[in-house]
Parts: sequence; structure tokens; C-alpha cells
Amino acid sequence: MADRLPFEDLYRGYLGRIYAYVRAQVGTSADAEDITAQVFMNAYQAYPRFEARNTTPAAWLFRIARNATLDHFRAHGRRERLRRTIEHQPAAEEDPAGQAEERIQYQALLAHVAQLPERQRDAISLRHSGLSFEEVGKLMRCSEDAAKMLYHRAVKALRESVRRMEET
Amino acid sequence: MSEPRDNLGQDEDLELQALQRQLDDAFETTRPRHGFEDELWLRMQSSRPARSRLRDAWAGFWQGIRAVPAVPAAAVAVGLVVVIGVVLVGYSGLLHSGGSTATSAGGGFQGPQSNQYAGDFGRLPAPVVAGQKTGGATSASAPASAGDYVGPAQLTWTGHLDLAFTVAPVFRYHEPSTNTADQFASALGAPLHGRPEGFLGMYETSDYTLKVRGTVQSPPSSPAYFIFSNLSMPAVEAAGAGPADLASVFLAEHGLVPQWDYTTAVDSSGDPVKVFYQREFNLPGGTTAYLVNMNGDRYGIEVDLSNNRPVLVSGMLPVSMDRANYQIVSSDQAVRAALGGSQPVPVTGTPAPAVQLTQAELVYVLVPAGDHSFYEPAFMFSGTVKINGSTLTKRVLVPAVDPSQRTP
Repeated sequence: MADRLPFEDLYRGYLGRIYAYVRAQVGTSADAEDITAQVFMNAYQAYPRFEARNTTPAAWLFRIARNATLDHFRAHGRRERLRRTIEHQPAAEEDPAGQAEERIQYQALLAHVAQLPERQRDAISLRHSGLSFEEVGKLMRCSEDAAKMLYHRAVKALRESVRRMEET
Repeated sequence: MSEPRDNLGQDEDLELQALQRQLDDAFETTRPRHGFEDELWLRMQSSRPARSRLRDAWAGFWQGIRAVPAVPAAAVAVGLVVVIGVVLVGYSGLLHSGGSTATSAGGGFQGPQSNQYAGDFGRLPAPVVAGQKTGGATSASAPASAGDYVGPAQLTWTGHLDLAFTVAPVFRYHEPSTNTADQFASALGAPLHGRPEGFLGMYETSDYTLKVRGTVQSPPSSPAYFIFSNLSMPAVEAAGAGPADLASVFLAEHGLVPQWDYTTAVDSSGDPVKVFYQREFNLPGGTTAYLVNMNGDRYGIEVDLSNNRPVLVSGMLPVSMDRANYQIVSSDQAVRAALGGSQPVPVTGTPAPAVQLTQAELVYVLVPAGDHSFYEPAFMFSGTVKINGSTLTKRVLVPAVDPSQRTP
């Protein structure tokens, strides 16, 4: 218990990263908020049982986030997710602060990420949320090398997706 | 032939690297909207598990509310129906087993370990028992509407009470002054409007009237504030939020989020929906004990919401408190004291019903004492009884501080 951060520190420190991870998965800010809330509600309940010696807080939180996101997809179905993602392309995103061109561009990029196959999407999101390939591999139940390969394939797939969009 | 491929490969690599940088930036800059972080934190705080729901209202606030004609009728009605049978066992009960038919759990009686631990506040006043005897003798055949039994009973104890500590904190606060009330109102941005009788001050804003009250001697009630909404009070806007979230947002917006530990409970059985913040005191060993009024109901802050609009907010006025440890009675002594409240002798020829007390918990009760008042530990026993086919709850409060630490 002595080496355990107060939960509020964990919450304040990781909320943004978890939100970004979830946001890249689901493609809409409304869903991202719902899932992020569920992630931290679950984490809050489970924190007394968290063992710092077994895993890092980041890996623990992202595992909860990953499970919550998968639960969300199971509940809503992939077709519904895609429909909502398409409907919420950047211009339709209800973000009062999102007027800057650069930000819109990033949201467009995340929308492309959200349309990748599940494991590719996951690899990119976890890696760019700050996790090491070793942590990504553990979360995705594969080796570190496999996680690297999956990630690189995912980035290439993303590039193709962006290209196709630019060509149309 | 290979050069073009290499160039192509280099271009591809550069393109991928650029994409990765974009991804880094995208993840780095994608954050929830402003305010989401604090909203979610409040929701998490308010979602702490409630051990049980409160009854309809705080009887402790009844006296203050009664004095204010503008109180919403629903709140008054709720206050009226709360009649809970509590026998607050007097001091003498601690030292006598009483004439019950009890089979108390645990070993034999252990005498009070006098003067082993003298608290810093000196000898403490005993909890006020005046008025508690009223329901005891008169309502055996008239059960209270709130599902609680207020009449006499033959008590037995079949539960298990095992305390891991022999010393518990007592809290003392200085009676708040008009200055205290004015400062509280000032922090809310509510200017003084007057000082009606029974209140430290009345303050008004465009959205609500605030009244602040000091300690009430009988029935014992904590210093409190009451916010009565005007029609202009806006609804709390938070899409998808439940009553507890809305109440927390309102409290946060007004700087009224409790600084003490609490459990949240929601009564959404009627309109207004009531959100309760039940105050807890920390005990040795990391456990907590609820603050209860003389009826055994937990209290702290109550937010009444109608169509997401706060119509009445009543809560404990923040006061600074000192803390001192006092010796408490043993589990066996507490059980004997509780059973000492038995009334096996029929008053009107009808034997008092048998009530099996099955649960006990340490709680805190207010003990008003003039210039300074105290929050003292007490044991609350409870059990059920069937009266006319209805299952009712009987509660018994027993002071926990060792008799040797009390004023005669």
C-alpha cells in the first residue's frame, strides 16, 4: 500500500491519455466520454485490489480501458460503430474548441484509426498512448515482436486509408 | 533499377514517419472537453457504495424546517411521517442488565474500566434522552408509517458485536455565531437580509433564500443551512446525469461539496428526488461510523431535486472540530445496556411484543451542550418485529463512551 498513488493522482494523470485511446477506438467524443467514465468508475472500484508489483498503473488502466471498449463494441455492434463513425466525420464532430484546422485534421486521422480492423486499431492506439511494445504485447496477448509487426502493419494500413480518402 | 525502389522505399519510410508523428500529435492533443475531468471525478465520488437507503427525511432538520413557512410542502410531509421507535437507553442502563428475556451473545459482564483513559475534553455530557420516551409507551399498537416500531418491546440479542478497539474519538465544536453564518453566506455570494428568530441569519440571492441555524437543543440537531430555491433557480444541466450527479454538480458549483467522508444515497421514490450525503466519522482501524439523529437516521447534506432543479438543499453548517479519544464500553456492556431498554411488563394488559435485535453498529450522535457541543459514539442496535402482519424495524441507541467519562 505504501507505494500506491492516491487514486486521484492516477485519475488526473491518466484521464487524458485514456480518453484519447478510447476516442481513437470509437470515433465519437460522446461515446468516448461514456466509455472513459466507465473505465475510471471500474478502476476506482478495483483500485484497492490493484497490485503495483504485478503491473504498471498505465498497463492496468489501459487493460480496463481496452475491456470497456470491447464491451462497448459488443453491446453496439461493429456496423453501428461504423455508421456512427462515418456520420461523425470531422466536420460533424461537436467539439466547441475544435475549430483549429490542425485539430480537425487530427480528428480526421483518429476517425481513420477507428475504422481499422480491431487489432490494428488497438495496436496503434495503445502505442501512441505511450505504452511500450512490451506493454502493448502483454495487453494484446502476443509477444513484443508480434506487437511491433502488428503495429507497423497497422500504420501502413492507416496510410492506405488516408490515401484513399485523399484520392476521393 | 534499384535506385528508384530505394527512393520509393525512403519516401515510404518518410511518409510513415510523418504519419506516426501525426498520430503522436493526435493522441497528445486529443483530450476530453473542458470540465469533463471534474464532472467525472464528482460522479466517482458520489458513486461510492451506499450501505443502505435513508428513510424519508431527517427528523433532525424538522425543527428548523418547521419554523420556516416557505418550506416546500413535500419536505414537511416527509418530515412528519418519520416516526422511528428509538429507545435511547439512559446511563443507568449501561450498568444493569434489565428484566429482559434476553440471551445476549458473548461472555459475561465486564465492569467499566474506570479512568483508564481520560479524554482531553474532560467529562462529557450524556446524550439527550428527553422526548425519546414518548413513543415508547404509547404506540405499541400504532406502528409508525415509515416501517419502524416505536412502542415498548421485550428485547433479545442474537447478533454478533465484536469491537476491535476500546477507544474512540469524540468531536467537539464551538457553537457557530452570526459571524460564522455571515462568512458562510458570503462565500456563497448571498447578502444578509435579516436575522429571523431561531436563525443566525437569512440571506437572499436572485435564485434562492439561505437560512443558517445554530445547534438545536431538542431534538438535538446540528448547525445547519437551508437553501430554498426561488422560481428563478435554474435546473442543473448535465446530459445523462443521474440525481446524485446533478446534486454533486450543484454542490460543487456553490462550493458546498462536503469536506468530510460520506456515502451517497438516493431516494427517487417520489418528487422531489432526494440525494443524501451521509456523514461518516473515521474510527481506529480504518473503519467508519455514520452520524445519525435521535431516530437513528443518517444525515449530513440533503439535496432535493424536482425536474433536475434543486428545490431545497439542507446540510450541516461547516464548523471546525477538535478531537479527543475516550474509552468506550465493551461489546457486552453495550448489549446489556440495549437489552436494559426492554419493557416486558405490560402497560395496558397487552404484553409488549418480542423483538430480536440482530444487528449493531457504532454510530455518532450529536450531544448539544451550550457553548460547545459534541459528536459522541453510540451503539445502534436494530431488529425486526411483526405487528399486525407488517414487518417493522426497532432501533435502540446506547451511548458508547464509558460512564466514568461522563458528567453525573
